[in-house]
Amino acid sequence: MIGPAVLTLIVFSLYPLVYSIALSATDSQLARPFREFIAFKNYTDAARDALFGNSLVLTFIYAFGVTAIETVIGFGLALLLNRESGPTRFARTLGLLPFITPPVAIAAIWRLIYDPSSGMLNHYLVRAGILEQNVAFLGVPGLAMASVMLVDIWQWTPFVFLLSLAVLAGLPHEPYEAAAVDGANGWQQFIHITLPLCLPGVLIIAILRLIGAMKVFDLVFMLTFGGPGSSTQVASFYIYKTAFQQFKTGYASAMTIIVIVILSVLVTLLTALYRRVQAKYGP
Amino acid sequence: MTRNNRTFSMLGGALAAALVLSACAVPAAPGTVRQVEVTREVVVTATPEPTAPKPFEGQSINVLTIQPHAVATRALAKWFEEETGARVQVLVVPYANVTEKAILDVTSGAGEYDVIEIWYPMLGKLVESGVLEDLTQWWEENKESLQFDDFVPSIADPYTLIDGKRWALPYDGDTHLLFYNRELLEKYGVKPPTTWAEYREACKTITEQGKSEGIYGCAIMGAKVPIILLSTFINRLQGYGASFFDADGKPAINSPEAVAALQELVDQLPYALPDPKAVAFDEALGGFTTGKVGMVEFWTDLGQMSDNPEQSKIMKKWGAVPMPKGEGPNAASRPALNAGFALGISTLAQNKPLAYEFLKFVGRPDINVRVNTIVGGLDPTRKSTFDAEPYRTHVTPELADAAKAALSGAFAWPTNAKWPEMQDVLTENVAEALAGTKTPQQALDDTQAKWLEILGK
Repeated sequence: MIGPAVLTLIVFSLYPLVYSIALSATDSQLARPFREFIAFKNYTDAARDALFGNSLVLTFIYAFGVTAIETVIGFGLALLLNRESGPTRFARTLGLLPFITPPVAIAAIWRLIYDPSSGMLNHYLVRAGILEQNVAFLGVPGLAMASVMLVDIWQWTPFVFLLSLAVLAGLPHEPYEAAAVDGANGWQQFIHITLPLCLPGVLIIAILRLIGAMKVFDLVFMLTFGGPGSSTQVASFYIYKTAFQQFKTGYASAMTIIVIVILSVLVTLLTALYRRVQAKYGP
Repeated sequence: MTRNNRTFSMLGGALAAALVLSACAVPAAPGTVRQVEVTREVVVTATPEPTAPKPFEGQSINVLTIQPHAVATRALAKWFEEETGARVQVLVVPYANVTEKAILDVTSGAGEYDVIEIWYPMLGKLVESGVLEDLTQWWEENKESLQFDDFVPSIADPYTLIDGKRWALPYDGDTHLLFYNRELLEKYGVKPPTTWAEYREACKTITEQGKSEGIYGCAIMGAKVPIILLSTFINRLQGYGASFFDADGKPAINSPEAVAALQELVDQLPYALPDPKAVAFDEALGGFTTGKVGMVEFWTDLGQMSDNPEQSKIMKKWGAVPMPKGEGPNAASRPALNAGFALGISTLAQNKPLAYEFLKFVGRPDINVRVNTIVGGLDPTRKSTFDAEPYRTHVTPELADAAKAALSGAFAWPTNAKWPEMQDVLTENVAEALAGTKTPQQALDDTQAKWLEILGK
């Protein structure tokens, strides 16, 4: 029975990867793949490409930023709502709505929310006196990135929250009983028992989210198209533009391979960290 | 319910009523015969005349179109179906993806599309990619019905011609006019501008006085989408008399005129609907039709949208003038062919004869008038359409004349096979200039250097 599984892996994972590597070594266009073998030229071009370098930096800022915030908020909400009651169940269900909404719909909604002339966010911020006048959240370089990140946080925090609940549900009762006997208060129990025991699980959740955030594309495409300037042009969007607007698929493949290598190194490092945490705090 | 069914129902009803009535009736005296009358409807149906079979009955083609033209293309499909019996399946994609869809369809061998909508600056790339059928002979064979000379001269060749051959049929004659809100301009004592400097001042006057009420002098589409951002820049580029290339075909995008044009655009930003760098088609359209914006450079069908009671608060309160001009010896009011679409036939079309027939149908002068008298997202491509009474009534004679004048002298974007890459570089650098991360001079110097590299010059 291992045959079909191996075949599936080859067809759906290995073949596209090998194809991309082969493409990256050629001067390929969308309509003319494998036009001319140029070895590593695409890679040296990518190394010199300031826009690609900038897109990688922005990808890291985005991915680590949203992962950190989503993990803190998601885990915090899980701690707050980790009990069985009507309102809690309702809050959990409601909290899952952003997670199950299609990203394109989310981006469309937030585009309306951010609208500088008739958007809800401007309306209430001005009314509350927080802003003097309307602001174009998606039109100011620094603010645009923060605005896209906010949408990501709104969309993915429920995912972290849900998995954090599962982690909390799996905690053993004995340490808490022992701590209570020893006179530990709630805060002490949280710091010395809950947090260490949850750390491996939360770290895995964060790694999953980080991998997802590194590949962000849909929100950028829908909200800013990489602008203003190149302030939200993350790597996946820059690669898309290279492949489907300039039609340079060879160069786009080389950049894709570079991103895959970076991601692989990052995941390897984080997995090693997870193992150390697991060995120290895990069951 | 069919007529036969209705007859049976009535008969049944009448019979049932008769039985009930007879049951309830006073008993007849013995020895008498009671008669019950039942009225019956007699239906006479005429034998239908045999109709002549339509020439393409039972056949079908797929047409790839962009979302803004979905209504128009579907209308054409319906009319073509009524005339020929052929079925036309309209496949709609976002305008930003239409070129990649067409290329991938052919290179993958899928051959899903018979007829393809083409953003005309991509024509060279599509030809180079082997996506389009050569229509040169088809144009020659159908010159009487297609009347090539009737197409607006400034778009006829750019939309169709690459390397001396014709590859497409003009479909949407796009250019910009400067639309203005008459009420707002009068209220703030501003006249429709004739130069970009006047435009900036007018914009500033209205914004400074009206901003507290949510009123802005102008909406500038500066979102980082090539078709949007470059339309805005090229409007000014042309006004200053700049061009993409010099007389020898060498890039000239960092000429003093081009830099002045970009500088002017940057100088206008503070007075526009916030924030121009995030303003695209929808934001500009919404700002103008809700009466919040004094002026907007937009495609000529904005007139129809502004008079549509379902989406506009400024019905009959708007006007349109030609693009302002810049300064300097080469300054001129010359609009650009911003956007602009054609139709071509895929080299992998499954039903080429029918695809050719569909193009022939769309290319007819009467169809051009008909499709431009619905709110379908298209603008005329034929001179005769601008003069046709139904069209003039539909958009107002003033707008028809202004659009015709604008299109007649319009400046075309490049259509060579390298343009997609060059366009992306220009978009990137103009966006940087708007964001303030590069000066206009630096942005266009960088573009020039990259263009020379791309073209190998």
